[in-house]
Amino acid sequence: MEMTQTATPESPRDWPTLLGDNARTCGQGPIKLHFPEKAAWQYRAGSAVRSAPVLREGSLYVASVSGVLHAIDVATGRSKWKFQSEGQVHATPSLFENIVLFGCDDGKVYALDRHSGEKRWEAASQAEVWSSPVIRDGVVYFGSADGKVYAVDAGSGHVKWSQGLGGRVYSTPYAAEHQLYVGCGDGKVYCLAADSGKILWETPTGNGIDSSPAVASGLVLIGSEDFSVYALNASTGEVRWKYETGLGIASSPAVLGDFAAIGSKDGFLYAFDAQTGQLRWKTEVGEVVTAPPAIADGALCIQAGGLFALDPANGKIVWRAHLGTAIQSVPVLTGDGIYIASLSGEIYALR
Amino acid sequence: MDRRTFVKASCIGSASLLMQGLNPMMRADSLPSLPPIELHGLPDYPASPLGMPGLFRGRVIEIREPKAIVGNRVTQSIVSRMLDQAMTELTGEKSVRDAWAKFIDPKDIIGIKINPSGAPACCSSPEIIREIIDAVRSVGVPPRNIVVYDRYSYEMDIGSYQALLPIGVRIVGIQDAFTIGMDGYEPNVYCDANFFGEWETRSYMARIVAHEVTKIINVPTMKDHSASGVTGALKNLAYGTFNNVARTHQPPHSFTNPLIGLMCTVEPLRSRSVLHIMDGMRLVWHGGPLTQIQDFIEQPGILMVATDPVAMDTVELEAIDKKRREHGAPSVWEHEPSSITSDGNLFYHDAAKNLFYRQPGHIAAAGKLGLGIFDPKQIDHRLISA
Repeated sequence: MEMTQTATPESPRDWPTLLGDNARTCGQGPIKLHFPEKAAWQYRAGSAVRSAPVLREGSLYVASVSGVLHAIDVATGRSKWKFQSEGQVHATPSLFENIVLFGCDDGKVYALDRHSGEKRWEAASQAEVWSSPVIRDGVVYFGSADGKVYAVDAGSGHVKWSQGLGGRVYSTPYAAEHQLYVGCGDGKVYCLAADSGKILWETPTGNGIDSSPAVASGLVLIGSEDFSVYALNASTGEVRWKYETGLGIASSPAVLGDFAAIGSKDGFLYAFDAQTGQLRWKTEVGEVVTAPPAIADGALCIQAGGLFALDPANGKIVWRAHLGTAIQSVPVLTGDGIYIASLSGEIYALR
Repeated sequence: MDRRTFVKASCIGSASLLMQGLNPMMRADSLPSLPPIELHGLPDYPASPLGMPGLFRGRVIEIREPKAIVGNRVTQSIVSRMLDQAMTELTGEKSVRDAWAKFIDPKDIIGIKINPSGAPACCSSPEIIREIIDAVRSVGVPPRNIVVYDRYSYEMDIGSYQALLPIGVRIVGIQDAFTIGMDGYEPNVYCDANFFGEWETRSYMARIVAHEVTKIINVPTMKDHSASGVTGALKNLAYGTFNNVARTHQPPHSFTNPLIGLMCTVEPLRSRSVLHIMDGMRLVWHGGPLTQIQDFIEQPGILMVATDPVAMDTVELEAIDKKRREHGAPSVWEHEPSSITSDGNLFYHDAAKNLFYRQPGHIAAAGKLGLGIFDPKQIDHRLISA
């Protein structure tokens, strides 16, 4: 099956959505996947990891729940540096130029020098930040449990604007050129003006939203706790299609061309035609799926109690790794291996 | 004074239970024998009249509305009306706000003890939690003084409570399910017993219960439990407040009876637990507490309220056992050796199999400890329609 790459960052300086791009590749782009045969190294983070790693230039960045951001040398599996924040961390880090950013339960977003771990700046909200910061055109956007979306300067952390919504914001925004799209605990999908935070449209779903949107070909794709996947017109918020799964959706869609995939708490991974909402296949991959899938060239990967690779053409599981620990994260897929984090705090390099 | 209690088969506490005609410590499987159990509560904590069994001993309000849950989705507007109706019936108050004010003061720090174990198939419904939060706020408690909590943050994440509950309310997982440690627990409040030769013999009380909240609203679900028979108000409080509790059952035996009840007597847990709201939107009649298999989960749309957890769990126990009878499954009281399996997969798919000899007698044992009424004839069970 051919999949055309779309909606990747327009500038290498940008990180416009959760895990870098619509395919949720952690900034790697949809690479040709080599299925590993063994664990090359294992790194112990010292506490649970409930977010996904990100990778740039030989360094893997992983946040553990105990509040430590770890920079790990992927060649050796050894620590390069650690940074201790002042709260627990459940947010997936993001990368922008030479800084690594992450949200924290102390209400702050931290920006660190990614080479040294030295703090460059911090930006404060009034409650925990579980959404992953996104960056576009030098502006960092993030949601907070205080019910607001914040825009801060990527160089200084100074707040440019904040916009209150109707519920907690755990969804990671998608930053388009002029708009910001985000789900909210009040059950609505919001479109905000990127330069002011003004609400341009809002579309209700049937329950709160934990999922993070992807935006592709004029559609905003997102899951809701009301069990459904939604595709909304990005300009108007009009519902173009929706598809009901068996339980709530905390997972986020991965999109490449006209191919979209998302997990559901019913344990299935669903694949759709992104434009029409027609179901291409669904495959049971675990008891519960809350993590987003990640798309490689010719493979779709999901962590749901184990790590699975599926054939995107038919949904058949073509490879799996049983690592003995519960996992609900997102793998970093590279040409020479896979990096994964587990709830028990181990980071693995599989090669 | 150290409120230290020492319980074993020959001590006065247990003897007094024997004298009342029922030995809740007696276990049908008879092996192994009950070890001594030490209880260490918070020193000098004054017992509250609101504590278990609370203001309405023996009274259970059950309200049923099948339309409250359709296709596994709970309708918040319907559960809102059900909760209002149940609370006024429980208290006899005409005003919903006055009903809640019988238990809550605006200065309270309110802990809402949910049951996310078993999420997403069966856990405390966010829709009901949102209604409870609204009711607590209506009495004058600000959101920052409301804490929704459970032992395992990972299970709370699966239920997406963090995203679904109102702004300002604190959402706390006491510990991670996959790491160990004393963070979040009070080292001086514990239950100590060596059940199966384990190295760590203590179960410590969560710090949030010992020191932070002033009142607890308990929101259990209606579930079969492979070790304790059912998990209801008592088990949700006991095993959701103390750590290191899985050690109390080792196949096929379980010491959930009497430990569940004993833990509920430890102060300040007993005094602070003022209201129990059982979420019976879903009812798990086999495979609890963790099953995700929908074949064993029904959606009756039940809500129960009580201040007496023993009476509430007695009603729940009968409802689950009745459902098992309807499906031809053995009673939770059955202790037939041929029903025991060590194959977890078989247990999850066969309602005639179990991993342990279930201990539903933990409810009567809790009653004998003074936590409430366990005799169905003495329970004021009011079944009302929405």
